[in-house]
Amino acid sequence: MKKTLLSLGLLVTAITATYAQHVEFEEYDLSNGLHVILHQDKSAPVVATSVMYHVGAKDETPDRTGFAHFFEHLLFEGTQNIGRGQWDKIVSSNGGQSNANTTDDRTYYYEIFPSNNLELAIWMESERMLHPVINQIGVDTQREVVKEEKRMRYENVPYGQLLLAVKNNLFEKHPYRWQTIGSIEHLNAATLDEFIAFHDKFYIPNNAVLVIAGDFDKAQAKKWIEMYFGSIPKGTDVVKTKYEETPITKQRNAVFEDPNIQLPMLLTAYRTPSMKDRDAYVLEMIASVLSGGKSSRLYKKLVDDEKIALEVGSFNFSQEDYSTYFILGIPMSGKTNEEMLASIDEEVKKIQTELISEEDYQKLQNQFENEFINQNSTVENVASSLASYYMLYKDVNLINKVLDIYRSITREEIRDVANKYLNNNQRLVLDYVPAATTAQE
Amino acid sequence: MKKLLYISLSLLLTLSLQAQVDRSVQPKPGSAPKVNLGKPKSFELPNGLKVIVVENHKLPRVSFTLTIDNKPSLEGELKGVDNIASSMMGNGTSKISKEEFNKRTEYYGSGIYFSVHNVNGSALSRYFPEILELTAQGMLDPLFNQEELDSERAKLLDDMKANEKNIKTIASRVRRVLLYGKNHPSGEYITPESVANIKLSDVKDYYSKYCVPENAYLIIVGDVKFKDVKKLVEKNFSSWKKAQAPVSTYTEPVNIQQTQIDFIDVPTAVQSEIAICNITNLKMTDPDYFAVLMANQILGGGGDGYLFQNLRETHGWTYGSYSRISGSKYTSNFAATAAVRNAVTDSAIVEMMSEIKRIGTTEATQEALDLAKAVYIGSFVMNAEKPQTIASFALREKTQSLPADYYENYIKSINAVTLEQVKEAANKYMLHNASRIIIAGKATEVLPSLEKLGIPINYYDNYGNKVDKPILKNVDVKKVLEDYMIAVGGRKAMLEVKSIVTTATGEVQGNALTMIQKVTNDGKYYQEMQVAGQTMMKVVYNNGKGYIEAMGQKNDIPESEIKALKYNASTFSELILINEDIKYVGEEDNAYILALNNDHKYFYDKTTGLKIAEEVTKEMNDQLHTQRVNIGDYRLVNHVQIPHLLSMDIMGMKVEFRIADVKINEGVTDADFE
Repeated sequence: MKKTLLSLGLLVTAITATYAQHVEFEEYDLSNGLHVILHQDKSAPVVATSVMYHVGAKDETPDRTGFAHFFEHLLFEGTQNIGRGQWDKIVSSNGGQSNANTTDDRTYYYEIFPSNNLELAIWMESERMLHPVINQIGVDTQREVVKEEKRMRYENVPYGQLLLAVKNNLFEKHPYRWQTIGSIEHLNAATLDEFIAFHDKFYIPNNAVLVIAGDFDKAQAKKWIEMYFGSIPKGTDVVKTKYEETPITKQRNAVFEDPNIQLPMLLTAYRTPSMKDRDAYVLEMIASVLSGGKSSRLYKKLVDDEKIALEVGSFNFSQEDYSTYFILGIPMSGKTNEEMLASIDEEVKKIQTELISEEDYQKLQNQFENEFINQNSTVENVASSLASYYMLYKDVNLINKVLDIYRSITREEIRDVANKYLNNNQRLVLDYVPAATTAQE
Repeated sequence: MKKLLYISLSLLLTLSLQAQVDRSVQPKPGSAPKVNLGKPKSFELPNGLKVIVVENHKLPRVSFTLTIDNKPSLEGELKGVDNIASSMMGNGTSKISKEEFNKRTEYYGSGIYFSVHNVNGSALSRYFPEILELTAQGMLDPLFNQEELDSERAKLLDDMKANEKNIKTIASRVRRVLLYGKNHPSGEYITPESVANIKLSDVKDYYSKYCVPENAYLIIVGDVKFKDVKKLVEKNFSSWKKAQAPVSTYTEPVNIQQTQIDFIDVPTAVQSEIAICNITNLKMTDPDYFAVLMANQILGGGGDGYLFQNLRETHGWTYGSYSRISGSKYTSNFAATAAVRNAVTDSAIVEMMSEIKRIGTTEATQEALDLAKAVYIGSFVMNAEKPQTIASFALREKTQSLPADYYENYIKSINAVTLEQVKEAANKYMLHNASRIIIAGKATEVLPSLEKLGIPINYYDNYGNKVDKPILKNVDVKKVLEDYMIAVGGRKAMLEVKSIVTTATGEVQGNALTMIQKVTNDGKYYQEMQVAGQTMMKVVYNNGKGYIEAMGQKNDIPESEIKALKYNASTFSELILINEDIKYVGEEDNAYILALNNDHKYFYDKTTGLKIAEEVTKEMNDQLHTQRVNIGDYRLVNHVQIPHLLSMDIMGMKVEFRIADVKINEGVTDADFE
């Protein structure tokens, strides 16, 4: 009898070990359309509370680029019940941290608190959704702050304007063609009325998802959520504009000058499908074959063997409507962008025509499993994954299925997808070069 | 029925009560969570390696870090050897090729990151034994060969080049040089020369001296069992030979006596990088350590700090302004930093200095101190139970010699800090009277207002060497040269000129002189001086080589002179200069002065665009001599303007040459330049 029990016990351990990375969650809608996702994890006394709004730089008009991110800054200015300058104080004095970020697709706000402050976090986020105070002082101050952010992150750093240069040349119709941070001119032109209208249009419960992850009591949390968010009025459903790009059929060439660099960079970029598309997962695997680690093909060939490049990289920048596949490299002194490109082209050709080895395939699977586990190792990350899977991928269950998708991708599929998207006539070749010498240099 | 109605009514009531929550009242926290500090298990190998293990089976992964806690050492002439040796590690062993090594480590799903003093990585727990074995092999038996050295050296040099204009790299390097001095491990920096000095034997020597187990700590966290780890570590690390790293000696830095500005000109900057700093000697075991942490939190720990509130929230000058200070057994420093737009650099400095002064001279409010405490305690509560934190606490307890109950008393120690202690600690460690205000920024836009602050200013280059005050005018060198070309007749007309022959006459001390000059557009130059029809001197130059013939003697042109002739050996030197590293260095009367290599100056008239003079500075007998030639009387010959008057001062005598004859695209043979 004892023996049976013991082996049963072992069996249970074995099963939990295999599924240890399974993320349990519960989801439901409030009557105003706010979607709620709860994930409990009591391993540390921490709780993450976050709200993702389905609004980003792509919802801007071409003469107000940077607006969505600018607006995100305004939502730290205070609410009808939280005075100006109090937001951070409340968070800090309760031992927490809070921040936000904006991409082309969505805007994300979060608080991380010791587990005894969940009610506070829910109250704060509900205040932000219901009635933030948006006024001229806030607009004037944050406008300057955002401009400094732009200078610091993009204009005063080497290769800081890379993404802008690519987006500009790869998209004609889609708002992905501009920079999330926007243009200074547009930031200057934005008015208070426009911000208020922006809030009314996009910051509504039926355009948002609330996620709570960590150490908390579910019943209590649901009560608080209903209490603070339940009375926020539903808004008019947001209708997203669809932008269809004409496929690229002829290689594009462009040059961008950066005054902060000394060594040129060569970059090829391809327009690839939405993050929701199965091909986007395959492209991520292709990126890993090409440049994930020292044993990857591009690194081994260009950096180790041929010593043409100082650095090489490739990745699929996944977004909701379209993704962008990048291959980039900095040539070693005395080597040229052309030599590097020729060598990169050979490797791309190879992945388009030959199957990767069984061993490389197993390596890929191990790498993606490792990455998946690391990605979901903190409640903050789990909260953010759940929100993205719900809002952008339209399937929360992906958090537990994503590894199966990678596992189901075959070697043939890797070859075929490379063939489908990574062709010379579909790409942009960008010479990202040092700006010509000017005075005093 | 009545009962049912009653029930639904009360239900409704409860619901509406819930809906009518008083939003104006900020929710109170629940009872504080209890912190259970986990204790890691540890053991030590006979060779001195100390191993700390934190078991945590939540996720099927393991991470590990091997840290060697050597005292920072001087690399001196070989600065960069640590960097090179580190990048050569993890590229195979004496038994496993580089290709095989990389393939195997990455097959297991993760990389291992090697350096002489630190190795870390992570793995799926099922592959941990293989990964730990590879880690030990890569660490204890790295493959050092010449090919890898050359390759890593070339990469390092290019990497330095890639960051040559990076304002953050420049600012941080100069900060360290100025704070610690060039002969301190925290102040010395890599140069192309020091990297060139490094030989394979130096790499091997450095590795074997410093990669030793005496002060080494291996931390393993995750889905492992202690007894398995013990076996694995014993199997893989027992062969590491017991040894202690040498301890180098150097002078520890001291603070300056009076606040000063140290300025580095970065002409491309759109923001100024500001750091106000001073040296500190603060240990984690010092009685005022927690008071310092609170002072720093109040001053610049985050969004509620004095600096952030002032510079960002009140003024909108920056994306963020913060300060940092840390406890260490080694010399460290305090720094308050911000990146601000050029135009507000001076105002930002005034405000930052006033906030640093305020924290050390005016008691903070109880509210501010409570908030600072809450931040630290909150972060402690949220993180203390995480396996990585447990491990890092254990490591710090050992490396910083903390008492065993340090973290158990952590919350108590923070709560005990008083307002008075905060002020005293700030006053002691954040020196508002003796700090260096180090600024990397664009001189032309920033310096004029900085000079008005009344703080002494020193100027430094990108490597922390003292230099003269930069020139404040922003002149487009290219435009000056292009304007000259337009004035001469345009680039197209200039390019059609293949050669120019000029014959000029002058007079020295009553003797008639004739000067014949021939120049070509393919790098050739010929000059002949005749006195009364007799050739006195001849200079012949042809693409990098040349000779002087005088009084029957023929000598090669000295190395020091030949470089400058490249610019003379052209139809118009500006066609070459425009591609050279030529700088604007100032003005004279109505002319811009451009300089090449500091020894050759060119003067261009602002109104006409024409070149009016050239100056060459040479060192002769340890003295600098400047030779100036004034150029004038431009006349149109074959669509281009050619000067017809050259005048100079030779040892106090004014000599004038008038050009009597100009031939374009004729009168030149290859024999002239042989």
